[in-house]
Amino acid sequence: MSGGAQPLPGTGALAVATRRLRRHPAALAGLALLALVLLPVLAAPLLSLPDPALTDPARRMLPPLAIGHLLGTDHLGRDLLARLLWGARTSIAVGALATLTAAAVGSVLGLAAAWGGRRLDGLLMRGVDVLMAFPYLLLALAIVAALGPGLANAMLAIAVANVPFFARAVRGTVLDIRHCDYIAAARLAGHGEPRIVLREVLPNLAPTLLLLMTTTLGWMVLETAGLSFLGLGAQPPAADLGSMLGEGREFLTTYPLVAVLPGLLILLLVVSINLLGDGLRDVLDPRWSPRRSFSAPAPADARLQSQLEGGASLLAVQDLGVRFAGAAGPVPAVAGVSFRLNAGECVAVVGESGCGKTLTALSLLGLLPEGASQVGSVRLAGRELMALDGAALRDLRGRRIAYVPQEPLTALDPLFRVGVQMDETLRAHGAGPAYTAAELIRMVGLDGVPGLMRRYPHEFSGGQRQRVAIALALAHGPDLLIADEATTALDVTVQREILALLRRLCDEQARALLFVSHDLALVAELCERVLVMYAGRIVEDAPAAALLHRPAHPYSAALLGATPELGRPDKPLAVLAGEPPAPGERVDGCRFAPRCPRAQRECRAVEPALDALGEHRLVRCLFPIQEAS
Amino acid sequence: MSGYIAKRLLLLVPVLLGVSLVVFAVMSLVPGDPALAILGPYATPERLADLRATLHLDQPWPLRWLGWLGGLLHGDMGRSVSLERPVADAVFERLGPTLLLAGAALLLGALLGLAAGLVAALRHNRATDRLVTLAVLLGISLPPFWLGLLLILLFGVWLGWLPVSGMATAWLVGTDAAPAVMWLDVLRHLLLPSLSLALVAAGVIGRIGRGAALDVLAADHIRLCRARGLSERRILLVHVLKGVLARVMPVIGLQAGFVLGGAVYIETIFQWPGLGRLLVDAIAARDLLLVQGGVLVLATAYVMVNLAADLAQHALDRRTAAA
Repeated sequence: MSGGAQPLPGTGALAVATRRLRRHPAALAGLALLALVLLPVLAAPLLSLPDPALTDPARRMLPPLAIGHLLGTDHLGRDLLARLLWGARTSIAVGALATLTAAAVGSVLGLAAAWGGRRLDGLLMRGVDVLMAFPYLLLALAIVAALGPGLANAMLAIAVANVPFFARAVRGTVLDIRHCDYIAAARLAGHGEPRIVLREVLPNLAPTLLLLMTTTLGWMVLETAGLSFLGLGAQPPAADLGSMLGEGREFLTTYPLVAVLPGLLILLLVVSINLLGDGLRDVLDPRWSPRRSFSAPAPADARLQSQLEGGASLLAVQDLGVRFAGAAGPVPAVAGVSFRLNAGECVAVVGESGCGKTLTALSLLGLLPEGASQVGSVRLAGRELMALDGAALRDLRGRRIAYVPQEPLTALDPLFRVGVQMDETLRAHGAGPAYTAAELIRMVGLDGVPGLMRRYPHEFSGGQRQRVAIALALAHGPDLLIADEATTALDVTVQREILALLRRLCDEQARALLFVSHDLALVAELCERVLVMYAGRIVEDAPAAALLHRPAHPYSAALLGATPELGRPDKPLAVLAGEPPAPGERVDGCRFAPRCPRAQRECRAVEPALDALGEHRLVRCLFPIQEAS
Repeated sequence: MSGYIAKRLLLLVPVLLGVSLVVFAVMSLVPGDPALAILGPYATPERLADLRATLHLDQPWPLRWLGWLGGLLHGDMGRSVSLERPVADAVFERLGPTLLLAGAALLLGALLGLAAGLVAALRHNRATDRLVTLAVLLGISLPPFWLGLLLILLFGVWLGWLPVSGMATAWLVGTDAAPAVMWLDVLRHLLLPSLSLALVAAGVIGRIGRGAALDVLAADHIRLCRARGLSERRILLVHVLKGVLARVMPVIGLQAGFVLGGAVYIETIFQWPGLGRLLVDAIAARDLLLVQGGVLVLATAYVMVNLAADLAQHALDRRTAAA
């Protein structure tokens, strides 16, 4: 299943769906409740209950547990339990019939709209729009008004009022199915349209339709009961739960049970149907992701003894790990990450997407997504950030450490003008900001953009938005700027401008920059040092120039080989086969070994440590590429 | 902005035309003789013919629809047979109370639903979240007419705290009590009926609101607000709330359909002098012109509320301008 609007899985997935359903507590509760309610209702003819229509004025309004009447009698002396069970049968039957009718008619209309060409589609959908302009209860009322009161008419009215809903939903699903590969395949195979609809579309539509019907059945039962309650549905002596409630209303003060019980039964029915419907939706929804069943303890990394020059580092990260909560224990996404960053230094973190770069960056700010937790040590100017509480961490964010995101369109709040977001950022910390708004705008080169502060983020170009985001990040003059793929979403010329801006801003204020990217060539221009990450680990830590010319880790070399170079269009690109292991996937030995052209038997036995190679380089490889080669 | 409003108002015309056509068609395509249904089986042929002429039943229904539309342009919706007065007078006299009831229910439902959704999302996957989710499910599954009866029983009959019938206390009407006293009295009468509808609407709004709040809380820009060092309070009350409101606004508009339709039940139960009760009576009396007028006015109100909700969403989120 890849991306896009996928129709629900076909009947082939039934076994999977059943298994998922069994693990869904809400759906199970709904099913159990429904069974509990339905069992006596369905068994009503078998139970030796009194005739629900038999009146006995002498024995009216008997309390529950009266002899011969388990729940007592109503205002006419009829047995309440018998009336409830028989009434519920009617309510359910009418609701189900209305659902089936609405689904059938709606499916035909929706199918016709989706398959029958643009003009038919336009005509049908205009009609649906008009019908949906009604509050649908009013539509049902108007229909009953025209047809006259009665259970059949009420059923018909409710069904008709819900046809537009089904038509629209079915049309949407069929349009999705239409664009699927198997339809194209069926066409290529020369099958006719009717066959395609019957054999390909309908089976794939079925789960969606089933889901729609389950989720609307509750409504239908409620609406039928409502019409009967108003006296427009079941006519005496026939009774459904709604009409019982309507009759009981007159005796609300003297004998409330007659009105309360039918309503309670309606509530129970509808709640259990809705619970089941919710569960079914979760189970059949393609976005429902299976739980990860694999989990392996992360191989312990050898502790890094920093071979780099000592001195007071601005940022010292030690054994940083990020884990996601999984069904079978935590799943490590980042493990054993250690590095240092000096004041004014520009360091890049590179790797394929999914290698843990962004998680590493976010964990420095304590801003991991929900479900993720971090371990290890992060020290900023000697202060342990992992030990700080929320308020202290918040005080650091934006003031000492700032963050420039990948996609500023989603990173700036789309609902607020830039001026508002600038203003709140400047006020975010007790101490005044380092710069005024005007200074910031000049620093990022946005002075001269008319009406800047009054505009919304979507009214800027990508480059301008990124400049705004940088201005916001700089407001309090942070010591460390983390740029997370900050230029990836921009086109090449704008990319260069933003890079130059970042470099200048960091040089001028001796500000440290952690630049996260997947583009090695880009990084080499900007940064002094590069950390290469693979599958949640740092595999190489080297000066940019050295890495670019003589990569030591096979993965660095592969990454470099896959990077196009400006001015060298003839350079053959080496594509790395395979995919990195998923977080938590068990890999024996080196995690790159399965894709590594240099892998030996030893590589699959034990995961190598991040060891020094020469004076300025750390590499996690048993057989690093040596200089001579 | 004003151009957008004008465009949307203009788009209302075909929708309302369609609505009236549907109402008319439904009413007219029914088998049987409405005149006979109104006057009963013992009516003399003269009286039947008379009534048919008055109702223009001798004409084909598309012609009657055009005639009816023509009258509508002058505010004439025909004459109600059962009330023996102009339909427009009867309908607009009852519109105010219905709008008051539906408006109060929608406001209450939106507030409750938003609060529930936000709380659940903030306590995602914890006990509070599950509790709210369960309450929301109950709200969605509640029959509003039953809820109304329960509220009457509890607050009216057993506790005796609140009035359960009508819109004003009888002996206050017509006296020269201060307007504040009058309004307070109406508010007391309004509480239970509007609550009966609001709890159900709150269920739907709460369910959508929870999803919206989860989306917004997980959005990049909220994480960026934190990265900029904004306080949690400001993030929640300004950024998250506005984002959730913008997403939930169309659902609130759709719930207007539920409260306006549900008013039919609630007005019947609480003897509320509104349009819904008028409709039920009109249906019982087979007074088709009255039903047509009432349904058209309620549908118009619904369409207008939806327009207002769309405009509110546009004001909250300017990216929706092109819609």
